[in-house]
Amino acid sequence: MVMNNNIDKLAEDLEKQELEAPNGVATPQLYEQLLAIYLYQNDLCNAKYLWKRIPESVKTSAPELKNIWAVGQCMWRRDFPGIYKALNKVTWSDTVADIMKEVQESIRNRAVDLISQAYSSITIDTVCAMTGLTPDICIPACAEKGWSFEADTNMIHPVRQVVEPAGQTSSEDQLYKLTDFVSFLEN
Amino acid sequence: MASALEQFVNTVRTLSSHGNFRELCEYLSKSSEVLVKNTQHLDNVLETLDIQQHSLGILTVLCAKFSAPATTGNNAQDNRFTQTQEFILNCNGEHIRLAPDTFAELCHLLTNYLVEQKQPLKGICILEKAISKLRLFDSQLTSIHADLCQLCVVAKCFKPALKLIDIDITGICQEQSYNTNGPQFDAKYFLLYYYYGGLVYLAVRNLERALYFFEVAITTPAHAVSHIMLEAYKKYILVSLLLHGKILLLPKYASQVVNRFIKPLSQPYHDLATAFTSNSSAELNAVLTRHTEVFTRDHNLGLVKQVSSVLYKKNIQRLTKTFLTLSLSDVASRVGLSSPSEAESHILQMIETRQIFATINQKDGMVIFRDEPEKFSGPEVLKGLEEQLQLCMDLDKQILSMDEEIQVNPQYVKKSTGFQEEEQPNKSTYAM
Repeated sequence: MVMNNNIDKLAEDLEKQELEAPNGVATPQLYEQLLAIYLYQNDLCNAKYLWKRIPESVKTSAPELKNIWAVGQCMWRRDFPGIYKALNKVTWSDTVADIMKEVQESIRNRAVDLISQAYSSITIDTVCAMTGLTPDICIPACAEKGWSFEADTNMIHPVRQVVEPAGQTSSEDQLYKLTDFVSFLEN
Repeated sequence: MASALEQFVNTVRTLSSHGNFRELCEYLSKSSEVLVKNTQHLDNVLETLDIQQHSLGILTVLCAKFSAPATTGNNAQDNRFTQTQEFILNCNGEHIRLAPDTFAELCHLLTNYLVEQKQPLKGICILEKAISKLRLFDSQLTSIHADLCQLCVVAKCFKPALKLIDIDITGICQEQSYNTNGPQFDAKYFLLYYYYGGLVYLAVRNLERALYFFEVAITTPAHAVSHIMLEAYKKYILVSLLLHGKILLLPKYASQVVNRFIKPLSQPYHDLATAFTSNSSAELNAVLTRHTEVFTRDHNLGLVKQVSSVLYKKNIQRLTKTFLTLSLSDVASRVGLSSPSEAESHILQMIETRQIFATINQKDGMVIFRDEPEKFSGPEVLKGLEEQLQLCMDLDKQILSMDEEIQVNPQYVKKSTGFQEEEQPNKSTYAM
């Protein structure tokens, strides 16, 4: 959660710096970080347009940008195996290494959520492809979540998670709002 | 320095120091011709004026610099941006609100200049500042709004525009100075604001707001066809298909022009909509190929392609109404997809975005469609309800205050009482 707030703040700062950059061209480091952050936030629209507005000269001078965007393109196509491949085939520079690690983490979490929502049975191969993990890590991890594994058919049976509703508001606040509504409706 | 310019500087200084701004505005509106004729000396003029005390004078000079025919010397041109930037960031807000039309004009000129120079990103911060100086309250529309949206669209940088267009407009800045013949708030900028705003929302996939913005653009009262309205109408059709699967009926207050002229001009789009409502992908693709040229020319091909991919989803959604379980290969053949795995990826995507509720069983290759799990009793629902009610209450307040404003408007009172004297003086003629 702390990471989350920090990243949002960093994104705002970077956006501002980009707008104030002389001649409208910012440093490659800025573009790299901002692009990676958009991926982390799963904000593919803004990532796409950022990629489009980065000048060609910057793209050629900083090849890492292309690697980051390769991840984004796979995300856009929802090509899970492609995402993990693009994430792990290069060593990220210090500028973005931390953020890219978070990107991988958040994508894996999303994949796990999606599996539990969408499948009642799923082959172990698909689970591995969607999480980017090998079967020998995957199976114990699934067991930990309470998903049973059928060895003879190679099937995993995910359990759907019930999404817990967010915390209640205070009853005083509730009452205040109710009075507001009633007085509005009466008048 | 030519004597005409010396006189200009002196007049600006005297009138400004006496606080005689009304006269100053009148004088300035007449002097632009002199300024344009003496472009080469304008930098000297600027040096003699103070950015805070003589904001109006500088404003007029800068406008003249932009409207002067392009000179061959590079230096003269290059400092226009920096000068304008400095002026907009540091000028006296109270002064420039006395000549809102000229100030807006300067922003339009700057916008065109930056678009021509292909450096739209540079202007975004400046125009944000300009808007905050010109408008009196946050929800007031100025014609600079349209410029900022345009720059954002051209620069492909949408976040700054979103900050602006997320605020619902409740008032329009009367951009009219003492020169009553000057241009008032031009309808062009109103339409452009809603058109570009719609484009921004489209880019960030906020389809509801995009639809609303295009709707405002096409329901603006009009007597003649505006190209902006025509393009907005085409996009309105496409967004409406994307969002609702059909063309929504236009509100009754849309002007006649839309039905009479704009509809026939967008026939290919209506063909597309008809094909879409037939639910047949083959038919839709046929229309697409037939009119590709038109769609490409209108720069709408991307949207049109989205429409065709949405049809698959819509058809899958329709299946959930008939079936409880279905095999993936059946889904593929009924919807017109080429393989069961393609159907699976579509369904997976729809589950993630909560467009359908289903469970895929990879063991037997089946899909089980479920009911919506929402129970309409949780605190989430209550929260949503509260937000909606709050919106309604705010809207009601807004209407009441506008109503009050009209009731006490001398012109309205005069008209309504005069009317009552002539006719029968019975119940209030004004109903909300």
